[in-house]
Amino acid sequence: MSLTSAPPTIASPPPGSRRSGIRRRSTRPRFAPYLFSAPAVLLYILFTLVPVVYTVWISFRAYRLQGSGIGGRRVDVFAGFDNYATVFSDSEMIAGFLRLLVYGLIAVPLTLGLALLFALLLDVPAARAKRFSRTAIFIPYAVPGIIAALMWGFMYLPSTSPFSYITRALGFGTIPFLESPGLFGSLANIAIWGGVGFNMIIIYTSLRSIPVELYESARLDGATETQMAFLIKIPLTRPALILTGVFSLIGALQLYAEPTTLKPLTSQITQTWAPLMTIYRDAFITDNLPAAAASSTVLALGTLAVSAVVLWLSSSRRKAGARS
Amino acid sequence: MRFRTLGTLGVSVILGTALLSGCSSSGGDTGKVTLEFWSWAPNTQKVVDAWNKANPDITVKYTDAGGGDDSSSKLLTASRAGNAPDLALVEYTTLPAMIVADVPADITSYTSDIKDAFTEGTWAQTTFDGAVYGIPQDVGPMSITYRQDIFQKFGIAVPKTWDDFKTAAEAVRTADPQAVIASIPPAEFGTFAGIAAQAGSKWWDVKDGKWTVGIADEKSLEVADYFQGLADAGLISTDPLLTPEYDKALNDGTMLSWPSALWAPGVLQSVTPDTAGSWAMAPLPQWTAGDTAVSYQGGSAVIVTKNSKHAEAAADFAKWYNASEEGVKMVLGTQNLYPAATAGQDLAKEQAPPALMPQQTDFYTQAAEISSNTTPVTWGPNVNLAKSVLTDALSKAITDKTPWRDAFIATQKAVIDDMTKNGFTVTNK
Amino acid sequence: MKSTMKNLDVHPVAVTGRVDRRPHTRLLPTFLLILGSVYCLIPVVWVFVAASKSDGELFSTFTFAPGTGLFSNLGDLFAYENGQFALWAANSVLYAGVGAVLSTFVSTMAGYALAKYEFRGRNLIFYSILAGVLIPGITLAIPQYLLMSQVGLAGNPLSVLLPSIISPFGIYLSRVYCESAMPKETLEAARIDGASEWRTFSSIALPLLVPGMVTVFLLQFVGIWNNFLLPFVMLSDQDNYPLTVGLFTLLSKGSGSPALYTLAITGAAVSIVPLIALVLFLQRFWKLDLISGGIKG
Repeated sequence: MSLTSAPPTIASPPPGSRRSGIRRRSTRPRFAPYLFSAPAVLLYILFTLVPVVYTVWISFRAYRLQGSGIGGRRVDVFAGFDNYATVFSDSEMIAGFLRLLVYGLIAVPLTLGLALLFALLLDVPAARAKRFSRTAIFIPYAVPGIIAALMWGFMYLPSTSPFSYITRALGFGTIPFLESPGLFGSLANIAIWGGVGFNMIIIYTSLRSIPVELYESARLDGATETQMAFLIKIPLTRPALILTGVFSLIGALQLYAEPTTLKPLTSQITQTWAPLMTIYRDAFITDNLPAAAASSTVLALGTLAVSAVVLWLSSSRRKAGARS
Repeated sequence: MRFRTLGTLGVSVILGTALLSGCSSSGGDTGKVTLEFWSWAPNTQKVVDAWNKANPDITVKYTDAGGGDDSSSKLLTASRAGNAPDLALVEYTTLPAMIVADVPADITSYTSDIKDAFTEGTWAQTTFDGAVYGIPQDVGPMSITYRQDIFQKFGIAVPKTWDDFKTAAEAVRTADPQAVIASIPPAEFGTFAGIAAQAGSKWWDVKDGKWTVGIADEKSLEVADYFQGLADAGLISTDPLLTPEYDKALNDGTMLSWPSALWAPGVLQSVTPDTAGSWAMAPLPQWTAGDTAVSYQGGSAVIVTKNSKHAEAAADFAKWYNASEEGVKMVLGTQNLYPAATAGQDLAKEQAPPALMPQQTDFYTQAAEISSNTTPVTWGPNVNLAKSVLTDALSKAITDKTPWRDAFIATQKAVIDDMTKNGFTVTNK
Repeated sequence: MKSTMKNLDVHPVAVTGRVDRRPHTRLLPTFLLILGSVYCLIPVVWVFVAASKSDGELFSTFTFAPGTGLFSNLGDLFAYENGQFALWAANSVLYAGVGAVLSTFVSTMAGYALAKYEFRGRNLIFYSILAGVLIPGITLAIPQYLLMSQVGLAGNPLSVLLPSIISPFGIYLSRVYCESAMPKETLEAARIDGASEWRTFSSIALPLLVPGMVTVFLLQFVGIWNNFLLPFVMLSDQDNYPLTVGLFTLLSKGSGSPALYTLAITGAAVSIVPLIALVLFLQRFWKLDLISGGIKG
């Protein structure tokens, strides 16, 4: 896949494009961009698009028994919208989406809020230990979700939890980390722990690119650090906040590793606790790949819709704000 | 189907056809054969090495496929794609699901000579409508492993019946309010199934191609009521097993027994090695005094897959492994499993007791005794679904304080619905 | 705006003198940052402490009390099945290293094309690739396996490597970075000088893009290193397993075989060490501002 056999560099500009001053060479070669993006496009088609189309196709199939009793064999047949009907009529699936909603309402705002807080703190000129804290808060990003959940599991279980150890010593008893409703907080905490650092860095770097002159004039006007944070910094980092928000949201909708790893530790987490866990169960445990494919399709479309709504809301609010 | 072919074509063009030959397990018809074998049992490599040394023409290549619920899907998927290994270890509970998915080959014709190496109950675990789909490797006759020292200290007799068990549980609570006799959590599907089977319930049954599901039959519901009674009275815990929490209780001496199967001492040894010598094993309590019947919990068989091009060679290996004296010796001694073959169970009597209970010198004699009283169990094609639904429903019942029997009834319904939808004929809808 | 991105560390120093006289502006932020650091480090500290505990100690001693078994645990870990753990570690390095390098180049080239050329289908390509982040990996694993099987690649290490190369997020970042870090005039000038498109890319653009590439590399490396499901589904020969799948097989033995808890925890500790080292090392080259920089637009 060598590109050194260079693409034709002399090409006429595409119709309608803006002409540059130099006529003998085009500034918009015709093949180069295609060749540059070819490896990515090919890999994308092979390893994402084709499997996605295949998944959608599987979602209209079903394994049904042909023959009877133990002599029968399950074969692959067309099932129409059966699998989709099941997704929407499955009360457990709907309950799973509701649990996901509760979890998301805790995890996403807290992840972003803490990330923003830490980013703003790192940007406070007077704060100390910045380099250390920046690294320390980012470290969890390097820890695999499964290992993170295993570690927090130990922190939550009454007999091994150092937190419950302290509260018991103080006479408050054990903290019910793994009982509903605390469970939602415990799960969200794992995601927050893993996600704050990454989002903090994104917001922080965005803060750093705010022109210094803005601060200077604000300080001359007597603004405090807190006022500056709310009046200058947060509005100017909006795009970074929207980006991290959308990615946190997508991450929350794909909740899987944390409840799965905590599941063996508590009866409160069922195998269908989150939608992706149901999908995993169908695909990997109860051998119902078509059902998993249908739920996946619904989940992916739902994620797309939610992301689109969030982006649309934030951009329309920006426009409205610009007009006023 | 068309785009699939297109995608395939694309992939092959890009990757080059040179790679295409890489992946089959055959060695041609020259007489030399390589067999792929997926398992997860400990020290399987050593058994395979012994075979390979003695059989240069049939080389077995072992892969640790991991155990548990997830690994059976790996085998199913590989089989659908035509890549299944020649041989695989399969738990008895998932074997029917494998059969209806067309994974294992019918090896009846290769196995007529070893049928007598197993008890009828054991052999029934791999035989369906007269066809043999696997060779039993290990079995888990049910037993109770308990803290002998603490039972003695509290003056509690080893429970012989489930009524005794309740009395013992009360005595434990009185003697030490921190301690419980056992934990029976919702996830222990195998325990519930085994104890219900012991009571006479048949969770699945197949006759003339028609299935009967009995997860919510009268006997099962009585079992549900019994354990709910214990849990409601605070006599047993319903917290999950083998969590750090549970393991700590084992170490502290506040978790006093584990009603499960003969493999329990090995598991306990690994999480609570310091308490070795304080434990003992006894037959599982009975529903009626004087009965001896117990069921199985756990255990697995080696299957030959339909994908295998060398079914006979594969069956030879499986037979050597699980039915020859040399093989079962290794199952017992090297792998520390309780062999399915009766010859292995006899050999075990000579064996030193498990490290957890060195003082119980008659461990394996008792084990053989228990094993000879096992009742055969038929598993169904959707055991994993049943397990998932029952676990979730029981958890919910415990949280919401609703009757446990409702969880069994809901599971029965889900299992029947699923089977009917998939095209099985179920007689008791 | 572009220049401020390059000299990150000289930013508001000039004005600090005036504001931080009041002690609480210094103390409170520092205190909160330290609190955040402690929160983030506690579980990491735990995993290393737990790795030092022997079988019995793991469940019987106080959570943060160091154990006595670190070296015997490490010994057991590396002796397990004739040193299989080292093999798994090597595989992880191979998959993550090679995968991340290839991914970085593929993403950079695509990002460059999407940022610096206007061509038919540009938005189609960009948005369809970006939509890839919407699809959970769990969904794709089995179809990918079935397709790989069709071409006889299932079980081959390539079946893990190839799908890891495509990274929607990496391509997105590369595009954003190209747009903000490379003035169009530089490219125009190169073209006027007669450089071919490939030369313009390789000798003018690439050097400017290095900080962005480091970020993409790091994100991909961490992503592939931590990936479990794809290798779990694809691979059947345990000699090809990466660490994640290897650790999984340690933790999940069937009923009747004990879970190798201590080994798995020690393995978890050992397997996050290289990642933490990599993060610490690459931080100095690091420009995550490419993510936020570009979306100001």
